[in-house]
Amino acid sequence: MLLLKLEGLNVCVDDRVVVRGVDLDVSCGEVHVILGPNGAGKTSLLSAIMGLPRVRVCGGAVIFEGEDITGVPAYERARRGIALAHQFVPAIRGVRVADIVRHVVERFGGDGYEDVLEILDVKHLMGRYLFYGFSGGERRRLELYLSLIQRPKLALLDEPDSGVDVDSLRLIAEAVNYAVRSWNTSIILVTHSGAILDKLYDITRVHIMLGGRIVHSGDIDVARVVLSKGYVEGLKVLEVALQ
Amino acid sequence: MSLGDRARKALSKPSPYGVDIDVSSYAIEEPQVFEELQVERGVEEAVESKIGVRPSMSQYLQLGQSAFYKLMEKSLEKYGVKVMPLRVAIGKFDIVRDMAWRLVEPDTDKYTALTYIYGGELGYFVYVPPGVKVPTPIYTCLVLRAERRAMLAHNVVYVDEGAEAHVVTGCTIPHGVKGGLHVGISEFYVGRGSRLTFSMIHSWAEGLHIRPRTAVKVAEGGEYVSYYVIYSPVSSIQLFPRTILDRGARLHAASVIAGRAQGNYDVGTKAQLEGAGSSAEIVSRVVAFEDSKIYARGDVEGLAPDSRGHIECLGLLASPNATISSIPIVTSRNPQSTLSHEAAIGIIAREEIEYLESKGFTEDEAKSIIIRGFMSIEPPGIPDMVRAQVKRLIDHIARAGGL
Repeated sequence: MLLLKLEGLNVCVDDRVVVRGVDLDVSCGEVHVILGPNGAGKTSLLSAIMGLPRVRVCGGAVIFEGEDITGVPAYERARRGIALAHQFVPAIRGVRVADIVRHVVERFGGDGYEDVLEILDVKHLMGRYLFYGFSGGERRRLELYLSLIQRPKLALLDEPDSGVDVDSLRLIAEAVNYAVRSWNTSIILVTHSGAILDKLYDITRVHIMLGGRIVHSGDIDVARVVLSKGYVEGLKVLEVALQ
Repeated sequence: MSLGDRARKALSKPSPYGVDIDVSSYAIEEPQVFEELQVERGVEEAVESKIGVRPSMSQYLQLGQSAFYKLMEKSLEKYGVKVMPLRVAIGKFDIVRDMAWRLVEPDTDKYTALTYIYGGELGYFVYVPPGVKVPTPIYTCLVLRAERRAMLAHNVVYVDEGAEAHVVTGCTIPHGVKGGLHVGISEFYVGRGSRLTFSMIHSWAEGLHIRPRTAVKVAEGGEYVSYYVIYSPVSSIQLFPRTILDRGARLHAASVIAGRAQGNYDVGTKAQLEGAGSSAEIVSRVVAFEDSKIYARGDVEGLAPDSRGHIECLGLLASPNATISSIPIVTSRNPQSTLSHEAAIGIIAREEIEYLESKGFTEDEAKSIIIRGFMSIEPPGIPDMVRAQVKRLIDHIARAGGL
């Protein structure tokens, strides 16, 4: 069943167009990976799907469960089933992790969050201030946890494999696999390093993003080529292959 | 010159801090002491809803210039604790006469002078015998109940050697009272190795001028914990309690200040580290709403070796029309004293709100969560009932912040 449809999406930051003409279909339980170098527009694309005010949709539409949500605010999109695990999270002094967890669970229901709590090994962080003094791995794991306990239909994961150690990376991949297989959650995962890809069980499609556009899409082999040869050389190889 | 003469000369002496007001425009009722409790039902309910203390359950209640105490004192008799109006205590015990007006001079300013001359030594006296650890909080309640009146209170607390007590004071007005002056002189003596926690919750209203004057002396190895919350509008408030610490004595002072309406809040804590190994931690969280002006002061003076002091003042501007000034002072007069301070004022960060919005919270809900967290500081050893009441008040403040 089709869950998300992006139709010719253009995204602006201030007056600058940073995402151009993106079309994307994501069905329930699918895992889409967007690979691209820094500055390709990946984070802006996820921000636009989430409806964050830092970006503005300046063309096209975001369709979720058949409804145009392009003008719907972020909190409402979250309530409809979209979650974003941010790449950069704010440290908020005084706000305890446990309080945020309680608020989220009250709002979204608590089914299954104990499993994710264990998988991501974040129980010991509950008494701490939100992201305050956290290591890179703790930040990534907690942010994924806070996103998954919303029991999203669609989880947007922004560089979950960036700046984490191998143990955290394994736990993060395990949690993503759990959400897909146990809850049929759809995933759009953005990465520039691709470090997590060989740990994910079900990758439906890989998209290459350059200069704000999706320039190529394919299966996991697309990622392997690009990650081994680099974006420029890799794309040349892929185009040759396609021809 | 007698204390009375000095006080009379100081009747027009302004305070060095805060807004100066004309005290002569407030009527002062004849001070009276009653043994039986007489409190109207409306007052009882209003006071409980504002500060979480039922006047009829408090060990000392002062309504304007009327003090009530006798029956309420009974609940603490089994611990040997004495609670009574200071005026009664001065008549009964020589030691109280020696303690009163020793830490706070009557001619400090016009407010102390007014209280010395016209207060009739209303206010509470609390005595905790040596070694007694009082498990339940001692509640005191000061209520200004009529317009254009002054309420004058003088409180003395003496926690004797090795004893421990929690004193909770709620100060408020019934609904509808919008003008008045409250002056509270407090002199606390914390004995050797003893511990006093003092929690004060202020809920006033626009038009009220509030002038507490507090000094605390902590003897060797003693500990004084102060927890102060104000969340209501005022016309002006000025308080700057001073704590003098002997060898190895400790101070933890936490203040939560929510400035509302057009109120002028000049609030701080001063510590004098006079004894070797003494320490002071002064922490405040300040949120300024609407058109309020807040001056957050902290002052630590290191006079002895191995003494340590730290001031942490964090402010949040919740309105473009509000003002916060943070004024930390650390003064060292001993090379072996270690002092530090941290002060920061900001607005609620846009990225924090946006982050919480992406987790399903509206902008107002996000602001409330941030403000609630920001204000949630707790000094050690505060009674659960006080902690719960302050949490309710902070929830109230945070909800207001989301408007």
